[in-house]
Amino acid sequence: MLENGRKEASKPGGKDRQYGAGYKLIGKNYPTNDLLAKVTGKAKYAEDFRAEGMLFCRLVLSPVPHARIKSVHLDDALAIPGVKAILTADDIPAPADSLNDNGTVIKASKWGERALTNEPVYMGDPILAVAAVDELTCAEAIEKIRIDFEHLPFVIDPLESLRPGGPNAREDGNVWVRPEPPNPPIPQLTEVKWTEQDFAEYDQGRLPMGHAPDEWSLGDIDAGFKNAALILDETFITPDVSHQCLEPRTAMAYWQNGKLFLHSGTQSTFQTKPAIAKWMNMDVDKIVFISEYTGGGFGSKITGGLTMIIPALLSKKLNAPVMMRISREEEHCIGRARPSLAGRMKIGFAKDGRITAIDMFTVCNSGAYDAQGDGASAARIVSLLYQPPAMRQRAISVMTNTPPRSAQSAPGGMQGIAIIEPILSKAARKLGVDQVALRRVNCPEGKAEFGAAVKGKRGHTTSCFLKEALDRGAAQFNWQEKAARQPKRIGTKARGVGVSLSCYVGGTVGFDGLLVITPQGRVQFQSGIGNLGTESVIDVHRAGAEALGVPWEVCDVVWGDTSKHLPYTCASGGSQTTHAMSRASFAVANECKQKLKEIAAKSLGGKPEDYEVANQRVFRKGGGAGLSFAQAAQRAIQLGGIYDGHDVTPDVNKQTKASVANLAGQGLVVSAKDKYPHDGQTFSYVASFAEVEVDVETGKYHILDFLAYADVGTVMHPAALGGQILGRTTLGIAHAIGQKWVYDPHYGVPVAKRFYQNRPPTILDVPVDMQWEALDIPDPETPVGARGVGEPPVGGGCAAILNALSDAVGDEIFRRAPVNSDTILTSLEARRPMQHPLMAHI
Amino acid sequence: MAVIRDVMPAFDLLQPSSAADAQKLLQQHGEEAWVMAGGLDSFDWLKDRIKKPKVLVDLSGIDELKGIRTTGDGLEIGAMTTLTEIANHPVIKAQYGVLSDAVSVIASPQIRNQGTLGGNVSQDARCWYYRGGWPCYRAGGNICYADTPVGRNREHAIFGANRCVAVHPSDAAPALIALDAKFVIQTPKGERTVDAEDYFLGPEIDITHLNILQSGDLLTAIRIPSAWSGAKFYFEKVRDRNVWDFALMNVASAMVVLGGNIDRIRIAVSAVAPKPMRLKAVEDAVHGKPADATTGAMAGNLAVQGAVPLQFNAYKIPLMRNLVKRAIGGVQEATWTS
Amino acid sequence: MSEIPELKTTDSTPKTVTRRRFILGVIASGGVVAAANYKFISSAVHGQMSSAGERLITINVNGMQRRVDVMKQETLAWTLRYKLGLTGTKLGCDRAECGACTVLIDDVPHYSCSTLTHTVRGRKVTTVEGLASADGKLHPVQQAVVDEQGFQCAFCMSGFLMSAVGFLKANPNPTRTELAHGISGNLCRCQDYNKILDAMMRGAEYMRRA
Repeated sequence: MLENGRKEASKPGGKDRQYGAGYKLIGKNYPTNDLLAKVTGKAKYAEDFRAEGMLFCRLVLSPVPHARIKSVHLDDALAIPGVKAILTADDIPAPADSLNDNGTVIKASKWGERALTNEPVYMGDPILAVAAVDELTCAEAIEKIRIDFEHLPFVIDPLESLRPGGPNAREDGNVWVRPEPPNPPIPQLTEVKWTEQDFAEYDQGRLPMGHAPDEWSLGDIDAGFKNAALILDETFITPDVSHQCLEPRTAMAYWQNGKLFLHSGTQSTFQTKPAIAKWMNMDVDKIVFISEYTGGGFGSKITGGLTMIIPALLSKKLNAPVMMRISREEEHCIGRARPSLAGRMKIGFAKDGRITAIDMFTVCNSGAYDAQGDGASAARIVSLLYQPPAMRQRAISVMTNTPPRSAQSAPGGMQGIAIIEPILSKAARKLGVDQVALRRVNCPEGKAEFGAAVKGKRGHTTSCFLKEALDRGAAQFNWQEKAARQPKRIGTKARGVGVSLSCYVGGTVGFDGLLVITPQGRVQFQSGIGNLGTESVIDVHRAGAEALGVPWEVCDVVWGDTSKHLPYTCASGGSQTTHAMSRASFAVANECKQKLKEIAAKSLGGKPEDYEVANQRVFRKGGGAGLSFAQAAQRAIQLGGIYDGHDVTPDVNKQTKASVANLAGQGLVVSAKDKYPHDGQTFSYVASFAEVEVDVETGKYHILDFLAYADVGTVMHPAALGGQILGRTTLGIAHAIGQKWVYDPHYGVPVAKRFYQNRPPTILDVPVDMQWEALDIPDPETPVGARGVGEPPVGGGCAAILNALSDAVGDEIFRRAPVNSDTILTSLEARRPMQHPLMAHI
Repeated sequence: MAVIRDVMPAFDLLQPSSAADAQKLLQQHGEEAWVMAGGLDSFDWLKDRIKKPKVLVDLSGIDELKGIRTTGDGLEIGAMTTLTEIANHPVIKAQYGVLSDAVSVIASPQIRNQGTLGGNVSQDARCWYYRGGWPCYRAGGNICYADTPVGRNREHAIFGANRCVAVHPSDAAPALIALDAKFVIQTPKGERTVDAEDYFLGPEIDITHLNILQSGDLLTAIRIPSAWSGAKFYFEKVRDRNVWDFALMNVASAMVVLGGNIDRIRIAVSAVAPKPMRLKAVEDAVHGKPADATTGAMAGNLAVQGAVPLQFNAYKIPLMRNLVKRAIGGVQEATWTS
Repeated sequence: MSEIPELKTTDSTPKTVTRRRFILGVIASGGVVAAANYKFISSAVHGQMSSAGERLITINVNGMQRRVDVMKQETLAWTLRYKLGLTGTKLGCDRAECGACTVLIDDVPHYSCSTLTHTVRGRKVTTVEGLASADGKLHPVQQAVVDEQGFQCAFCMSGFLMSAVGFLKANPNPTRTELAHGISGNLCRCQDYNKILDAMMRGAEYMRRA
């Protein structure tokens, strides 16, 4: 049984190409160290741990979108045998202020999320947690709890909140503003209402544009529009999309000798510990965090969260291990989501499709709690990806009584690309310019500038080879042939092709590497990276192994447990890991070589520079006396001090120093900070191509073909890279083809909470043979040349599908994503967009 | 009282090994008993703790309710036969393909491996308000949350609404109606056989039940008469995702064409109304007409007469018109050279 | 301000539920006994009503007869994970819509979250832990995953493996599209479908060769 229109082919893709010319490890496939445990079912995720006397805990979630708890009646629940404790908001410690890496105090926000609340601000906000001997007892107890609410005004649609007299999500405001520096960068909640005039075009489907607190501009916009051959002014709405990690954010906690041991999933083993300390308001050194395997994050598990705090507190209270299993429905409520952006863009084009000016306006549905900056981020990505000579951006972030949002793969970037790309496609058709050609004339290159000028200077990229990816991708996709195909429609089927540019940030700098050469001669890399299966937790250390010239077989990677002494490591968000930590690994490997030479000189005479390192030995240049790694490690222990970790290089982070101290005496213990020069900000880029076939009688469509051609610097691990490029592409595709929220606005509660209602894509919703490829051109601003990959493909995944759809069925079909049968069918009938243009959560 | 989901409440599990024993247990426990076939629908109600039966009667151990048998006049499919077995059955594929086509696009492979034909046609409505535990008409309350000026009703009914606007979720049901299947029910008073379309109930008759099963009744088999064996069949399901999702709409038809003209036809659609709809008026109108696109178009237009869309489901009107058109006139497929 | 619906379960709102069949306030007595019993059943995670004799059953898991104390409403996923320590079977949704809990029952893939343990007595259950041979040699499909670096976070992996093994036993020589249909009842949220298909196609090849 073949899906309609699916083709059966096996084309050579990125996975069949050879990468890493001149390297032994970099660019080569290998089985990662975690794979055997995963494939045999032995890999332990948080819920797989058991502890003697473990209790279970379940949450009580708010059934209403906004209320104040007047009273809770717990006696009947507590009377049930087996119920151990009920945690309330009053038991939750006030969050601590925190210090950033520059030593600046970040005040805890008074609007910030707490683990439990007495004023729930969305349906699903946790109110109580019940611990008992088992979940059944928890459930029986919860059904005996009575809660009296004072219902408060609520709003789920940001535009409704901005209307004159519209409701606020909280009593003290509805819109986030960021104070100007030098004030601490804590967003403040304020009240913003627009005028009736601002809403004048609402019914025509044009996004109202009232006062927006976040604004910047560059160049002469008026001149840009004045000189334009074509001006388009379009509104487009992107969906709210839950992260829906397959592993719910279950956590298990126990205390031993005053220390908290916590098992849960995370995007950063290293950075989660201080986050827990902040939530718990406790000493970071009293926390051991264990997370060897994490079942998906996508931005929703960057560090710590409320699900870790509750079992930690209950466990402390009850002096027993506590497991809090999170159900799928609870995950829908507390598991984070990407905020929707309602966007409006006015774009001027020259005859050849070159953009002359962009005027961009976005309304972000920020959800409950923290401010989301997706609108501003969207503008930044647009300014980079399409290089407008003049641009104004205005953004407003509105709080609503819907679940808390967080970064989701390419936060803002995905939405910005989804908003602008359909306009570019329309412009190309109106101007008679090829779609690829239109992208090409606007494509960034080299040290491309982006964003607003700060103190008269704009930021710029480290490098950009996107044009080359676009050209090669177009050739591999047979763009010319496919785009020229006529007719587009035969019988009941219409075909279309779409192309999109895509990019996102791809790397940070300044983290630490830490390794041990053991007296047995093994090279042990300490990895503080979270293990999300992108394999960066392992892959980045191939850079260090390559620099040391050792075969991978003598290397070990230690990860997943903060008691195993990890170095200062970036969180795996913002696609920074591969770049940041390959640098750190490279740095520590080179520092290790230096230390080996010093040990050799001290042991065998001469100067360190008389020695070289190769073949797991340090030896005199040109041959002669030397030490094996094992001998050098034994010597390091004898030498002590800086060689075996009893001393530490002063420039590494405090936490790295603590880890070095804990490893002291185990061999040659080396740490190093990444201090490599780095001109510009690192981004990665993708050119995305899609072909779709639409059944015009049902509105149902199939994706026939997809190619993502990436500019991500040096390819570190082709198989893992391909998984990321296509995986994140599909995350973007999901926004085009179906994922969304549905809320009843009258009651302010979600009606779609299940997978079959929110619709994450299945294996049959994407082509069976998606293609990826990577340029493999090293980034010149990083020693290994590797950049991050997770987020850059996401926007292109969504926009290439949208563009292919409009190529197939026309521009006047949809004004929002996702696009489904209903949208296509009714709009084709009416020959104009028929779906409600601006209403949230339909 | 506070709500908790995803913990199954305790019940007593009864596992009869014969239909007679099952029936006895159902009579003994009356309304305290919950009948479970494959369980895919039951587990949702139980895990949501919206329904807490005292006794669960599991039919999965009753071998006599399983399997596909040829009879003097067609086939008899045990109610507990899995959807996978039906999808793969050579006789059904060869002679009654509309049924294998329909069941092979139900949910997912694992669900088809466990889900049964009896369970599929007897499952409850999937309106997200109703399944979310809202106290609506169908749940015994006195309001419909989906049919309000702002209610979310993209997947709801355009026909047959009567206070409740939920649609029937079964994919097998329209195929069985097209095949003129007979449902065999063991009641406390003995065996009863009903036409497929009469198995289903609209809200005007019973707003809290989608079918005629009473407490103590057991659907034991579905008989497919040979009258439509080898007929020209059409089945199409339109859904958002290609796995798991319920139909936005489906259509099933069985047609006997003689000399280019429609001699006999049965056609049904589902997910348009609270019960699967047999389109009798369409059948009558196309009788004797050529089985072509023109007749299909006429049939499609006729089919949607009287449809009442809600705020978010107007697309169901062209969708139904087009699906009915195709079921009679076929699909104009495309061929591209590149 | 809008009216808020009373979203309540049936036992707590007797006035609205008396019309419903099947829904009778069962509840508390069971829970009470359960909790009280728990203290004396240190091996069981869950304890509750009904006599122990009826609950102690034998199931065949990965070729071994396992004697286990099972509640009436207990799902196979729960028994495997919490009673038998076979945590390779994952719970992603507990609602038959992700496939992470897929196991083979008599060689056929089923969602163990939606199977009552009491219904698998006398049947053969295979989990991911039962795929490799006793000497540790990986099953061909497992080996293929290793060779193709299949999957990312791998929370879905054991379910996919079981679906693929079940499908390939019955369909040893599938096309890529056929295989995609065969394993379509499993959701991967890393959306690593392409690489999963690469691995599973290779697994099919290894199985044919084995």
